[in-house]
Amino acid sequence: MKTDKTINLKIERLIPTSPDDAFEGWLNPKIPGTPWNAAEEFALDPKVGGLFYWHLKATSHYGRFTEMARPNRMQHTWVSPNTLGKESKVTVTFRQQGQDTLMTLIHSDLPDTAEARGHERGWNYFLGIYCEQFASGSRKKYQWEEAHPEAVVKK
Amino acid sequence: MDQLTNVMTAISHPTRRAIIERLANGPARFLDVAEPFDTALNSVTKHLKLLERAGLIERQKQGREVFISLTAQPLREVAGWVHEYERFWNERLDTFQQYFKDQKKNKERKK
Repeated sequence: MKTDKTINLKIERLIPTSPDDAFEGWLNPKIPGTPWNAAEEFALDPKVGGLFYWHLKATSHYGRFTEMARPNRMQHTWVSPNTLGKESKVTVTFRQQGQDTLMTLIHSDLPDTAEARGHERGWNYFLGIYCEQFASGSRKKYQWEEAHPEAVVKK
Repeated sequence: MDQLTNVMTAISHPTRRAIIERLANGPARFLDVAEPFDTALNSVTKHLKLLERAGLIERQKQGREVFISLTAQPLREVAGWVHEYERFWNERLDTFQQYFKDQKKNKERKK
């Protein structure tokens, strides 16, 4: 299904380090959690106008860095099969919060299509088996709070 | 409110989730649905209205009785609302955060 509708995602984490270390860490392919760290193959040129490429499980991702304001903000485009070849935008900010850093990642301009939604895997993450059992018509008993205390709706 | 908000609201309360669980076993009459709860019947009626508004239940008349049944489609749509990249970035940032937590612990141990 093709559509012009787009969605934005916002994800935040408190990183127990300084904004400088978190910023540089996010660009370090050796650090677990960075997109480049997950890659089977990658190229990374983290400067404004620089390009990146990474490949994982037969899927390639490309982008170009559009902002690099150390240590508080970086922005790059993001193109993959899930964006239907269109440029989406990833903005990452790092703000000091006490001794930690509030890291905020906003992935915007994502095409809102069935192809991009990743239904099956999303189920386990968000509503867990609870939702899956009803969607698939399973009748087994399931205790929501006991099994998935983290599955309460995130805002 | 949009459909997604209605569904989120409907599944946000433990009583309504318990009703959904009950109805997942098959259609039931109102009194059968209400029976496990200590709350007043009026309260159960209100919960059912919220579930109905979210499109999660349907009422069907069979002879003189009304049976309430579960409609799972809105739950599928809520599940589909979770974007592939929401899962991806959450996993990435969890791992990134954990790395720095481990680093901090290691530093504190060395002190």
